Amino acid sequence: MIEFMSGAVTLAYFIGAVFFLRFWRRTADRLFLAFAVAFALFALNQALVSLLEVDSEPESLLYALRVLGFILILAAIVDKNLSSGRTAR
Amino acid sequence: MEDSAFSDEFCRFIQTTVPSVGAAEVLLNLLRQPGRPWSAAEATREQPRDAIVSEDDARKWLELFAARGVVAQTPDGRFRYAPASADVDALVRILERAYNERPVTLIQMIYALRDAKIRSFADAFKFRKS
Amino acid sequence: MNALNLILYVLAVLTCLACTVLLGRSYVQTGVRLLLWSTLCFVGLTVNNVLLFFDLVVFTTDADLRPWRLGAALAGLVFLLYGFVWDAEDDKP
Repeated sequence: MIEFMSGAVTLAYFIGAVFFLRFWRRTADRLFLAFAVAFALFALNQALVSLLEVDSEPESLLYALRVLGFILILAAIVDKNLSSGRTAR
Repeated sequence: MEDSAFSDEFCRFIQTTVPSVGAAEVLLNLLRQPGRPWSAAEATREQPRDAIVSEDDARKWLELFAARGVVAQTPDGRFRYAPASADVDALVRILERAYNERPVTLIQMIYALRDAKIRSFADAFKFRKS
Repeated sequence: MNALNLILYVLAVLTCLACTVLLGRSYVQTGVRLLLWSTLCFVGLTVNNVLLFFDLVVFTTDADLRPWRLGAALAGLVFLLYGFVWDAEDDKP
């Protein structure tokens, strides 16, 4: 059951990343690129945690992938607010 | 062509009826020969530029135009320019003028409107709405 | 779990919470359905990260919250993908 859900979550993150990439191509808005990479990292994290049968995520350092993803999202939000005053995007 | 011609009504028309530049070209083809019934295949073959429009796409757009009261479908499955009202006709003529006089603006507008929902996702992350 | 790990897991929760709030606020203001699905996605991801935090910090070996964690993430992502497929473009019939 866990394996099934883990696989499903991995794929869902990955497909989400693909959609974000598409939106980035359509709109040229960097925020979508950030979300795409972040979701790809979440997918990778989920896949590795499952495949490597990691018991404790913090010890395995795999959580660095997730942390990187969240930092990217936060950076995108900050970037959106800092630059929206200057440019039209 | 003045900016005021790009009214809210025209924007709504584009958003609901003209999903892409290819669709605009097909519609303008029908406009230029109003009495003539077109099939989807004919519409794809007679493009003003070398734009490649698939027959499926052309059919999809023609059916959309029919649903919006811009063209009428003939009994043999072809389409004819037949605006449901003078207002619709006026909007299509504005489209024609925009296509001829302000093509870049028009194209940008079509794609901006198409992507409006996606942009709203990105805009949600602005703390202060402009 | 050391302090750094703690901070990073809290960061995850706060980021998801921020996304939830921003997207939710925008949905209330604009009514764009895509934003509803996006908000629900980040609700799921917030729950996922909160449970992850509890799993690792509070409960450790006492309980395995994995089914719930994955369930929350999966539910959220399904909402998001549904929104992306059906409500992201303006191609009304």
